[in-house]
Amino acid sequence: MKTRLPEHGPLETPRFWRTLEERIETPEAQRAAHDEFLPGTIPAGPDYDDVHGLPPQSGVSRRDFLGLVSAAAALAATVACDRKGQGTVVPYTKRPVEVIPGVANYYASATHEGRRVYPVLVKTREGRPIHLTGNDEHPGVKGKTSPRVMADVLRLYDPDRLRAPKAQGHVASWADAEAQFHGALRGAKAAGKPVLLISGAVVSPSRKALLADLKTALPTLEHLAYEPAAGDAAEVAALASFGQAVDLQPRLDKAKVILSLGADFLNGEDPEAQAAWGAKRRLKNAQEAINRLWVLEGPLTLTGTNADQRVPVSPSRLGAVAFALAKELAAKGVALPTGTDLSGMSAGAPADIPAAVWSSLVKDLRAAGRNAVVLCGAQMPAEAHQAAHLLNAMLGSEAVALRAAEPLATVKDLEAAAQKMASGAYAAVLFWDVNPAYTYPKAAAWKEAVTKVPFRAWIGQVEDETSAQCQLLLPENHWLESWGDYATPGAAVLQQPAIGALYDTRQGEDILLGVLKAMGATVPDGYHAYLQARWKKELPFGTSFEQALHDGLVKGETKTSAPVFKGASVAAAAKKAVAAKADGLELVLFPGFATHDGRHANNSWLQETPDPITKMTWDNPVAVSVQDAKALGLEEGDWVTLALDGATLKLPAVIQPGQAPGVLALALGYGRTTGGVAKGMGVNAFPLVGLDPASAHARGGAKLAKAGGRKELSRTQSHHRMEGRDLVRSLTMDEFAHNPQGHHHMPELVTLYEDQKFPDHKWGMVIDLAACTGCSACMVACQSENNVATVGPEQVARGREMHWIRIDRYYEGELENPKVVHQPMLCQHCDNAPCENVCPVNATNHSPEGLNQMAYNRCVGTRYCANNCPYKVRRFNFLEYTAYKTEPETLAYNPEVTVRPRGVMEKCSFCVQRINDVKIRAKGDGRAILDGEITTACMAGCPSDAIVFGDLKDPKSKVSQLVAASRAYRVLEELGVKPAITYLADLKNPAMPMASTEGGHHEA
Amino acid sequence: MKLDAATSAGDIPEALIEPALTVGVVTPGSLDDQVLAFPEMKPPKQWYLGLAVTLTALLIGVGCIGYVFVTGIGAWGNTSPVFWAFDIINFVFWVGIGHAGTLISAILFLFRKRWRNAIARFAEAMTIFAVICAVIFPLIHVGRPWLAYWLFPYPNQRALWTNFRSPLLWDVFAVNTYFSVSLMFWYLGLIPDIASMRDRTTSKIRKVLYTVLAMGWRGAASHWQHYEKAYLLLAGLATGLVLSVHSVVSFDFATSVVPGWHMTIFPPYFVAGAIFAGFAMVVMVLVVVRETMQLKNLITMRHLDVMNKVILAMSCIMGYSYMMEGFTAWYSMNEYLHHGFMNIISGTYGWAGWVTISCNILIPQILWFKKARASYFWMILVAIGVTIGMWFERFVIIVISLHQDYLPSAWRIYKPTMIDFGVLLGTFGIFFTLVLLFARVLPVIATTEVKAILPGAQPSHHGDDHHA
Repeated sequence: MKTRLPEHGPLETPRFWRTLEERIETPEAQRAAHDEFLPGTIPAGPDYDDVHGLPPQSGVSRRDFLGLVSAAAALAATVACDRKGQGTVVPYTKRPVEVIPGVANYYASATHEGRRVYPVLVKTREGRPIHLTGNDEHPGVKGKTSPRVMADVLRLYDPDRLRAPKAQGHVASWADAEAQFHGALRGAKAAGKPVLLISGAVVSPSRKALLADLKTALPTLEHLAYEPAAGDAAEVAALASFGQAVDLQPRLDKAKVILSLGADFLNGEDPEAQAAWGAKRRLKNAQEAINRLWVLEGPLTLTGTNADQRVPVSPSRLGAVAFALAKELAAKGVALPTGTDLSGMSAGAPADIPAAVWSSLVKDLRAAGRNAVVLCGAQMPAEAHQAAHLLNAMLGSEAVALRAAEPLATVKDLEAAAQKMASGAYAAVLFWDVNPAYTYPKAAAWKEAVTKVPFRAWIGQVEDETSAQCQLLLPENHWLESWGDYATPGAAVLQQPAIGALYDTRQGEDILLGVLKAMGATVPDGYHAYLQARWKKELPFGTSFEQALHDGLVKGETKTSAPVFKGASVAAAAKKAVAAKADGLELVLFPGFATHDGRHANNSWLQETPDPITKMTWDNPVAVSVQDAKALGLEEGDWVTLALDGATLKLPAVIQPGQAPGVLALALGYGRTTGGVAKGMGVNAFPLVGLDPASAHARGGAKLAKAGGRKELSRTQSHHRMEGRDLVRSLTMDEFAHNPQGHHHMPELVTLYEDQKFPDHKWGMVIDLAACTGCSACMVACQSENNVATVGPEQVARGREMHWIRIDRYYEGELENPKVVHQPMLCQHCDNAPCENVCPVNATNHSPEGLNQMAYNRCVGTRYCANNCPYKVRRFNFLEYTAYKTEPETLAYNPEVTVRPRGVMEKCSFCVQRINDVKIRAKGDGRAILDGEITTACMAGCPSDAIVFGDLKDPKSKVSQLVAASRAYRVLEELGVKPAITYLADLKNPAMPMASTEGGHHEA
Repeated sequence: MKLDAATSAGDIPEALIEPALTVGVVTPGSLDDQVLAFPEMKPPKQWYLGLAVTLTALLIGVGCIGYVFVTGIGAWGNTSPVFWAFDIINFVFWVGIGHAGTLISAILFLFRKRWRNAIARFAEAMTIFAVICAVIFPLIHVGRPWLAYWLFPYPNQRALWTNFRSPLLWDVFAVNTYFSVSLMFWYLGLIPDIASMRDRTTSKIRKVLYTVLAMGWRGAASHWQHYEKAYLLLAGLATGLVLSVHSVVSFDFATSVVPGWHMTIFPPYFVAGAIFAGFAMVVMVLVVVRETMQLKNLITMRHLDVMNKVILAMSCIMGYSYMMEGFTAWYSMNEYLHHGFMNIISGTYGWAGWVTISCNILIPQILWFKKARASYFWMILVAIGVTIGMWFERFVIIVISLHQDYLPSAWRIYKPTMIDFGVLLGTFGIFFTLVLLFARVLPVIATTEVKAILPGAQPSHHGDDHHA
């Protein structure tokens, strides 16, 4: 600009000027300044509009132009917003007082599986239950629950649920259905003909009372409580040993020495046992007391993988071994209960167990005395259970609590019922939450017998094999829509609905109350009132029903006399145990980890959660021992035929290291013929269950033959050795005391980059491998919290499962009885994350709080990040796994977590939504975040408290202290990626030098 | 034409005298008639047959790509941990094929290797076509291909920017630059020939087409002056790219943490491999071209001999690289790298490792023999072997390294699907369709450049006294 500034003084010049031209006061600039906010963009000519004194309008003014542009943009945006699958958002016209959109509500409730009660906390969002954890008020479960219970929230939204009553195959109204139902029952009562009710285990006092009332009103009622996977042998043995049915709860907090006879108490089912186990294993130093777990078992169980000393023993020999142990202990001076006769036993170590192990075991049990406990697996033969009861009685074990329980029907009772049905004795049969047409071993005979009953009614949620035979189908509420109560040790537990019934369904108890009413009894209006009336009578003084409902429980021990062991029962059992001999292969039928007895088979979360041992999903292959596989020339996935007692199954085989030779293991609960998810997955193993309850689930005489061909296994892990890499560190107590870091010397890692700065927080996690049992509860918790998609068996077989957290399981040492280690593996949130720098579009990056975060919207799916992730924890949506989902399935989604579409990478976020939730609340309260206030879903779900999450910037936080522990190490630390997850080495407490003490990490 | 024996014997030893680059009598006129006549002729039946085959392959490929677009990457065999497989193998393979063209046209031009003049045009065309095949993959292999443009750093109202630390972004630039420079270089070389064709053709449509494409070339001295300068500059630019493109492609691997990828040897090793594969492809195509298009007098056995020698040299470099991989695995004492190398020679995919070694190292050694270099059988065998071998080399690098990396729990066997093979077939279809079309539409030999190497075309010190 060469124009000189004008000479005249500041008075004539505007004090503030916008452009140099204006300051210089060229005529153009003055005009422009004058016109700036006028409509015209056209340079003003000399002729002004006379009326307004404005320049004449021609063309489009700037204002109009901008208006048009914004209108066009708004219009375009409106049109573009009409995206597929986006529904109308309607606000509450009358907002329920407790619902604040965007804020979760928690309700205490409870459920049960068999005899085990699970008090839970239900997280609801805008009225929808979306996540389950244990009730932290309960003295037993202490905020923990089982993987199957956590996944049960999905069953609420099962699209296969029956939504209205059905009569003779057609949808009917409740009035019509009830008229038919009540008419049939009244007819039976009038004719004096028996009515059969088959239900699941009765653990609810109010349900028990209701059934008693029903029996009074309908005297011809016969009731069977049927739990096909509970283990009939345990039932038989309890009757023999105690003269009554018992409920047995291990109290591992009091146990120094645990002997398991095929008992699988660390598989996630029993949160109480697992919490106690974790507490005994999370050691700060080698001086702290640790327990010791001895496991004698045929198949490899999750508990077996956690053993300090494990000996493979076939199930048929367990009884003899345990009785020999009793004899040996008696010989060493441990008193036998009165009336016990073990003279039939020969003294000394049984051939199944090496002499050194035997003497060490005897010494250990004797030394521990009252702090020793013997636990027997539900599927093991009755003699083994009886021997375990004897041993506990001898030792006076404090580490097991026995309570009287309602008896369960065994296969024998079912067989009798079937005969009675076939004879035409029953006027009506009612199936309530049971599926004998699928679970009864001789299904064909059962179905034939059922047709002989003139009136057949069914109460349940999803039509199944049994409902197919019934005239009347009465749809039942999910337990999250129902009322109920339970008696547990330490507290009386209440169950309340967390959501109104989604469909035209009723609670089973309400249906029975209707029957009571129809029979002329005076009953409260609905089960809620029935329950309330009972509770108000029994509530302790000063406790309101509302308070009990809020807490979900009322604490207090109900006094029951402990069942007394009958010594006289021993002689016969010992004789039977010594004589027991399996011809052919022994088959153990155990409840499926995912499906249990088949009731969870329609749950895709569970179906896709890998079995913790075989890592199989969606299928139940028969597990064959290494020795037998070699003899038969079997390889993984080979089709085999399994024949027993006239029943033959064709199924794939997997080779199971650690399984006793001559033993086969097969999961129950697969091979359903109904259900959109369950149908056709695996084979139904119930036809192989025996009709002798004493050995219904552990049977001899099985025959296995190659059938030709191979199945591609839908397995999440196909390589089982650690290849000598330092991935899972495992220490014996001796190593822990003297050299916890082993021979690992980490050289100082140098980087050219500046270290990441974390101004406020640095989130980190510690996982204690000594406490982790591999139960996979964390996987289900994560799936529910983070809307992790399921992909189905074909995709799993290709390696495309989506779990954000997985459990790596490795075998070490000899295949016949390997050491097994588990390692939860999830995104390590590395400070120098290799995934971050390779993403071309910055879709994955680091937060200032140390989170490795994913921007799903930005991800184009090059998959480079996943290639470069040394931990292989990134999951790619290879196909569209979510968009096809509709209500009700989508109702199970956590609204705080984006549902990922096809073509996008995803991974663990350290539950960033939970972190932010706590941060926002803390900020609102004007306080700092407390240590332990943020829990990730996996941490909250872990029943043994192996996972700790927190702020590494806070030196006093639990996680910071654990990071400095002597067992601490980081996986693949040598890569310099600086993971935010620290692992604490696994601990083993062997009684004697282990056969393979070298351990994986310094294996050549 | 005869050399003056007295003069030449005194000045240049016999062995250093460059033999004639053409066979028989070739004059500028006969050259034009021979080369520029093809686009005017009706193609033979074999050409149509060939086109039918390549078009079928192309359509299969297009169908498979369409299927992947509709269903997702899951239509391929890619899985965890083998997140990249055929997609990136094919990408690296095709980028590699392109390298021979640029090397021949640019580097050999700068080194004044006059024999390259007769084959440069075809080799350059193959570069363009191979890069076209290659760039398909970065576009279709992403999970959400409709968003692939996000890889370009363009200003946008969301203020999102690309990550310049990512080797994939470097790829975008490297390949784009390579493609544009190669295309310009090729087109520039074509201009004088297109002008000749414009002047020769009698068809009106062709006349219009060639007139537009020739950009007003009249063969004026000023045109030639600018042309030569531009050609030299582009040759210089392309020379750098020969080395840079495949080096950058190799960074995708070398800068990662995957054992078997993370190696400093990768850039030179990739460049050598690319030239190796490219030359093999050029040999294969040129043998067919000189036979079917009667160009034996221009594309001589000497060309093939020289190219075979380059293949042999590159094969030796590859052998050295493979040995260094093994040596690094052993000498580093890195258990992961060691495991990765053992997988190449003995793992589940050990056969692929041995295919690579046999095809790339063992078979080409036959070219030490002059007879083999002069034999169609052997040179075609070697060329096909090298093409297969180099594809498998990328399979070895990508799939074998990925399928077993750090945590054994995540290891998994990769199996390609029919769609994977369909896409691979499709790229061959695209490549050869373009080759066939090129052979009929444009001059396959740079006549202006060959004219420059015809006897007597260049001034030389003894040429001077000869013509004095």
